[in-house]
Amino acid sequence: MQKEEFQRTEKKSAYELFFDMPVGPQHPALKEPAFFKFKVEGERVIGVDADVSYNHRGIEKALEYRNYIQNIYLIERICGICNVAHTLCYAQAVEQLHGKEIPPRANYIRLMIEELARIHSHALWLGVAAHEIGFDTLFMYVWRDREVVMDIIEMLTGNRVTTAINTIGGVRRDVSDEAKYKVKKGMDILEERLKYYRNVALNDPTVNARCSDVGILKPRDAIRLCAVGPTLRASGVKNDVRLDDPYTLHDEVPFNIVTCDTMDVLGRVVVRVDEMLESVNMVRYCLEHMPNGDVKIKLSLSPPVGEAISRVEAPRGELIHYARSNGTKNPERYKVRTPTFGNIPAVCDMLTSKGDYEVNIADIPITLASIDPCFSCTARMEFRDVSKSKTWVWSLEELKAHCKK
Amino acid sequence: MEWLLELLQILIFPGIVFAIVLAFVYEWFDRKIYAKLQNRVGPLYTGKSGILQPFADFVKLLAKEDITPGEVDKPLFNALPIVALTLSLMGFLALPITGLRGIISFNGDLIFLIALMTLICIVIIYSGISSSNRFSTVGAERAALQLLGYEIPMMLSAISIGILAGSMWVYDIVNTQVSGIWFLVGPSILGFAIFVLCGQAELERIPFDIPEAETEIVAGWLTEFSGKKLALFRLTKDVELLYLSGLAVALFLGGPSGPVISGLEPILYPIYFLLKTLFVLFLLTTLRALFARLRIDQMVNFSWKYLVPLAILQVLLVRVIV
Repeated sequence: MQKEEFQRTEKKSAYELFFDMPVGPQHPALKEPAFFKFKVEGERVIGVDADVSYNHRGIEKALEYRNYIQNIYLIERICGICNVAHTLCYAQAVEQLHGKEIPPRANYIRLMIEELARIHSHALWLGVAAHEIGFDTLFMYVWRDREVVMDIIEMLTGNRVTTAINTIGGVRRDVSDEAKYKVKKGMDILEERLKYYRNVALNDPTVNARCSDVGILKPRDAIRLCAVGPTLRASGVKNDVRLDDPYTLHDEVPFNIVTCDTMDVLGRVVVRVDEMLESVNMVRYCLEHMPNGDVKIKLSLSPPVGEAISRVEAPRGELIHYARSNGTKNPERYKVRTPTFGNIPAVCDMLTSKGDYEVNIADIPITLASIDPCFSCTARMEFRDVSKSKTWVWSLEELKAHCKK
Repeated sequence: MEWLLELLQILIFPGIVFAIVLAFVYEWFDRKIYAKLQNRVGPLYTGKSGILQPFADFVKLLAKEDITPGEVDKPLFNALPIVALTLSLMGFLALPITGLRGIISFNGDLIFLIALMTLICIVIIYSGISSSNRFSTVGAERAALQLLGYEIPMMLSAISIGILAGSMWVYDIVNTQVSGIWFLVGPSILGFAIFVLCGQAELERIPFDIPEAETEIVAGWLTEFSGKKLALFRLTKDVELLYLSGLAVALFLGGPSGPVISGLEPILYPIYFLLKTLFVLFLLTTLRALFARLRIDQMVNFSWKYLVPLAILQVLLVRVIV
């Protein structure tokens, strides 16, 4: 589809002076290796070709060689920032294989940590987005205030980022009353600061100039291209796994789904800041309503034969884990579908000029960042000829052609 | 002996050595204030409060490998960093620092000073194009567009002061300010604002750092420069920063003049010059911390929608008063 688009616009151009501008695999706008080949004409972007398979780590295969307990720590390292979402999703899948429910207190702690991680991920994103539009002051301020939630996470779990709190059958640590008090205080600071950043995003003229009407994704396109998470919600589509398919306690804890109908980058900023505010309220609710009891149940090391699919709303969008057990200590097959992978077609659409909608080179970094990309979890498959020690990647067309042979 | 004194003036004080030392100190000041505004500490370890950091960066860059890519226009690519530095230092020599006139001073030198700034920008455009790198080409293209945006309001605001003084000689302009009308509080405050804003664009600093926008086009026109050439370009930027704040002081803030005890002028004038340029630098740094980077079309739009009409208004205002 992309290639047809290229040819169509090429004929239309008055100047016929194109060149390919590479963004990636190493580029200041990208924090992780991915390659976007932009066809540009002066400052105008005409088309884009994406390649995200630069960081294949073979995690799915590696999962099959480790037992379920060891896998928690491997799963956690699929993505550093959304590690809580990954372990939560994994733990849910394995518990589903066992067919067991975990204690309510564990559920509350899981939800609380999940929401804290969402705050920290969105705050990180807000800082990065500010840096992409050259607003380093906002970047520094947001990251300073992000320390509040980082400290809370460290106090609750023992680690700043890689929390290792979720485990099969519950959580590893309980929350003390003293910790609850500190979390509550931290939430007050965060709420005040987040309201301030919301105000900055909406009222700062230069932020507005750079973010509004940039990276437009129409609701119809968003659904057609399978966008997920805040990217989808900023296009006005009310879609959230926490609402559609409640897990942990999302059917009990009240929260609003934040949507925005501006369909642009500014909408994504506002959706994420508002989501952080929602998370603050959810954490408060959890602190108040947390029941007493165990935080963990013991489950056997080898779950019974079966399959399980578990879905979690990670900070970046819908995260899907699939597990198949053959009754041994190791999973037979494990499959992960990360939200960034789902958003790649959408971001390619946002970055293509069509009709009145013009994309400038200057819009590339912020539009790419607006989906909160995490490319290291996107590479899924590559081929390796062991005898020749050669590694390669096939596109879908090449794969189909190979199958026909 | 007079020629020796003049030579010393050009080479040491208030000439080239002074300019370069001051440029490093001002870069440090700029970085430190910028860091403070962002709730950071800024340079800290090299020298007292990191004052030697810009100099250390410069020396480090000089020692780095200097790569000349195969595809570049070699003579141009190698010559441009030196040309740029020479131009900015030449501008500095014309600023009044120790007295009411600079080392180079002649009737009509305001035009020469403004031309120098445009020339530096043209050097930038050439260095982008001579690199034959995609990011550099885009950067050069943006630098050219940006020049279209800021040059005219900047010239108009400078010339309005010339009209007010009735001369295009910086010496005359400074003299008029000393002998009576204190400009800034009067009609030229608008001109000063325009000049500082355009200076920000000339220096390619946020919100006008469009030609070297890091996250967009890597380093823009600077992308292919490394080692000594990059060091020279960085030094050029520092000297240009100093030169621009010096020019703003000379045109709008009364140059190095101030309340003086007779006989102590040669000591007091440089001190006033330093204080006033630091004030302008502080304004420039604050501007840098306040905004996000604009897009090139927004920048040119802003400039022609607001800056050019305001600059014309400033000229009219001055005409009415004179």
